[in-house]
Amino acid sequence: MHDLTNLEKALNDDGIVFLTYGGIFTQSLIVGMTEALEKETEQDLSIKTAGNIFTIFIELSQNMMNYSKKVEKEGFDPKGLIIVGKKKLDDVDMYYILSRNIIDAKDKDKIEPKLKQILSSTKDEIKKLYREARRSGKDTHSKGGGIGFYEIAKRCDKIEYEFIPLNDTKDRYYFIFVAYVKQHKK
Amino acid sequence: MENLHIEATKYTPEINLDAEKGIIDIRGKSYPENTFEFYEPMMEWVKKYFECCAKDETIVNMEIIYFNSSSSKLFFDFFDLLDEVKDEHKVVVNWIYDEENESAEEAGEDFIEDFEDLDIRLVPKQQD
Repeated sequence: MHDLTNLEKALNDDGIVFLTYGGIFTQSLIVGMTEALEKETEQDLSIKTAGNIFTIFIELSQNMMNYSKKVEKEGFDPKGLIIVGKKKLDDVDMYYILSRNIIDAKDKDKIEPKLKQILSSTKDEIKKLYREARRSGKDTHSKGGGIGFYEIAKRCDKIEYEFIPLNDTKDRYYFIFVAYVKQHKK
Repeated sequence: MENLHIEATKYTPEINLDAEKGIIDIRGKSYPENTFEFYEPMMEWVKKYFECCAKDETIVNMEIIYFNSSSSKLFFDFFDLLDEVKDEHKVVVNWIYDEENESAEEAGEDFIEDFEDLDIRLVPKQQD
């Protein structure tokens, strides 16, 4: 039999509620995971917290779905990973939604300035950026990014991200993004 | 003009467009795989309705539990369309939200600020 002890230990240590890795991200997979997340959170979380978690999850996973559709044609596997879990951050109970996939340098150049700007902005500034971007229509019709990161930033308490080069030529990167949401109980 | 009814799915809202009563009703979750494709029949219907068949008063009821960012953009475009016809046709938008769902309320407030001249009303949902 397969020995799953290590995997199970890793899942428990990181408070992982569920994860999906690799393969093709489809709408039906996202819907199924959203339903699982609804069941998981409806017991003890406020509607607001749960709604924020779903929205962030949907945003990140649809980003990933659209990105894998795009790069599939180029014949590269973005090795998408999404994790939803619970952990303490500075003694506060948080839910976290993590996404990781491989992107090329061109996309990194698009995403990185936006994330830098988000991290240096207040909530009110982010709301303004979101509404400006929505009004201008710029980026919003295009898939991947758009106003999605502003939407996430509005709804979470902390964001972390990292770009790790896959190789020395630095044409591809692991893009890791984590959003934390405080667990406001019912 | 024919009415248009679209059943809800796990990720798209129920849509009821009633030309006789002048009611546009959108209720549920909204995170389609392709948002613009999904809402295209609704947008076409609404355009046609205001061109030929609008009632003296049109009531828009929107109760969106949660939505992705492309739906948010689509709703913006939808309000934009209503904004364009509001001088010729009376339009009232009820943005219905659960009182515990502050994000839904905030989304409604944002639309009110973006469309100052459109009659958008925040309506807390009646608890059963």
